[in-house]
Amino acid sequence: MTGQGEKLAIETLDLKKSYKMGLVTVYALRGVNLRMRHGEIVSVVGPSGSGKSTLLNMLGALDTPTSGKILIDDVDISRMGERALARFRNRKIGFIFQSYNLIDRSKVAKNVELPAIVAGMPKKLRNQRVHELLDLVGLGDKSNRRPNALSGGEQQRVAIARALINDPAFILADEPTGNLDSKTGEEIQNLLLRVNEEKKATILIVTHNLELAEKTGRILHLRDGVVEKERAGLMPHSKPSDSDLNVSANGRA
Amino acid sequence: MRTVAVLDLIGLSFGALRERRLRTGLTVLMVIIGVALMTSINGLGGGMNNYISDQLGTLGANALIVTPSASAFGPEAQSGMQTKLTSQTVRTLGRIQGVDYVIPSFTGGGTLRSGSESKTVAVLGMDQSKMVYVTPKISFESGAFVSSTDSGGIVLGHSIAHPSNLDKPFASMGQSVFIEFSKIENQGGVEKLVTKRKAFLVGGILNELGSQQVDSEVFISLSAANAFFEKNSVYDVIYVITKGPDINDQVETSITKFYGKNIGIVSPKAIASTINEVMGTFLGFLTAVAAVSMFVGAVGIITTLYTSVMERTREIGLLKAIGYTGGTILFMFLMESFTIGLLGGLLGLTAGVAGAYAMIGILPLGANAISITPYFRPTDLAQVFLLACALSVIAGIYPAWRASTLSPITALKKE
Repeated sequence: MTGQGEKLAIETLDLKKSYKMGLVTVYALRGVNLRMRHGEIVSVVGPSGSGKSTLLNMLGALDTPTSGKILIDDVDISRMGERALARFRNRKIGFIFQSYNLIDRSKVAKNVELPAIVAGMPKKLRNQRVHELLDLVGLGDKSNRRPNALSGGEQQRVAIARALINDPAFILADEPTGNLDSKTGEEIQNLLLRVNEEKKATILIVTHNLELAEKTGRILHLRDGVVEKERAGLMPHSKPSDSDLNVSANGRA
Repeated sequence: MRTVAVLDLIGLSFGALRERRLRTGLTVLMVIIGVALMTSINGLGGGMNNYISDQLGTLGANALIVTPSASAFGPEAQSGMQTKLTSQTVRTLGRIQGVDYVIPSFTGGGTLRSGSESKTVAVLGMDQSKMVYVTPKISFESGAFVSSTDSGGIVLGHSIAHPSNLDKPFASMGQSVFIEFSKIENQGGVEKLVTKRKAFLVGGILNELGSQQVDSEVFISLSAANAFFEKNSVYDVIYVITKGPDINDQVETSITKFYGKNIGIVSPKAIASTINEVMGTFLGFLTAVAAVSMFVGAVGIITTLYTSVMERTREIGLLKAIGYTGGTILFMFLMESFTIGLLGGLLGLTAGVAGAYAMIGILPLGANAISITPYFRPTDLAQVFLLACALSVIAGIYPAWRASTLSPITALKKE
């Protein structure tokens, strides 16, 4: 299907999710086909109720689809059990949340270290990586602070470092600038773009922020549970010519 | 989980407890109270048991105590219904099979004066050459028994001669002491308080026996007591010495057959079991209260931890999102409850040991203070400690389970 034999970072095949709310069945995703190459940075935009959050949960291995497949690094996670999913999230996915979700009682370094602890990374390597990543996000001097002593932008930087610690297959950012003023939001945008370029990290951003979306390689417009439209962004290395490889979206398969 | 750094997870649990210091502290306090109560009661119970066996251990194992009434202790009220213990009784008892000696005695109370000091004492009059049968461990610090014909000699119990509240002896060998006692006398139709007073010469001082009763008694001859206390040869207590402890029951049955319920018979064994029964009931009640307070402590842990789980929903959601399994989260929360139990258990044991000594100090144990030393059996302490830890972990199961089964999606959404 890839045509080029290239290993994809993310591939979904006719991904569907429905759930019952009382007597009504809600079809949140109605067949999403999405492909992302390694090192790509892609944004997903769409109005509320378009299925963005559901897609995010699926790709984040937080929830399993009703039907269809999710392949991450060629591994099908759509039928995994809870423990396997947890392990998978730990190794392959880095999360960035709108509200940072840092643990305030723990120091910045500890927050960054959290995913590495259950990954079984040796203490020495952990410390080394924590410092590397804090340097990368520009907080090298604040590793002993507590998150609630940092500004919103700084907290999101900590979260970005945390997302990177286990060298995940891709990073999933859910409205990463949603809680930030525009100037700080732009800094975070630039940091994400820099992380994409320097670390060759694969990043999927779900956002309302069209300015941010424009700067990524591709923009997927989600509406009523399907990818309605897809177009190229400003990030140069995702050329529009790749698009045949990336999306084939129609309502139903 | 195998490669998970367990110590790091425990560190995270400690961090969570430290963040809620006051609440954690109060919960630990609840555990401390339960454990401390349990420990103190154990220690007091052990101490009292020791005390009772010390007290009764001084009585000969083959001694039976015969009193005029069927009441368990002591010759009290003189109602006409009761059998009087007389020389006839002594002869009758002596003829019962299995009886070695029959030792009659008079008891009285009064004030003992030595120089300017005085104290209230119990006076026992008996044939002192037979005293070794009643209290086999008896021995003299100085002097000797008063002979049965001596009406002016007196032997002092150890704590009479050496009271703890005086830095010098109350009385010493060869010295004169006076016994005074008051009674109502009818003089020509008018009742009058009369004080009788008699001088005695200290002929012996006993070594400490460990029995509150013997140590704080004074002993005079049978005839002297009969005359001084005007007993008219009606004995208060008769000690029956059997040929061996194994036939105590047999002799007791024979005596009962003869006298029915008109006479009281007590064996040291019976006294011990009566006291232990009463004590056991009392301590059992206290232990139940302590157990309830331990249970309340466990409920406290449930509440505290459950509240914590609710407050940390987002945190739990995050941990799940970044790959912490339900099992790991369960472990972290159980570590929190276990830590509370461990702290509460250790501090509770310490507080309980201290508390037992403090209670001894506070308890009203009468004028001639009974000296109970708390006694803690290591196995009891270990049991209480393990119980505290186990209860804490059990109490943690429900909140920890709730945390471990939280869905990361809903957990992250929660504001």
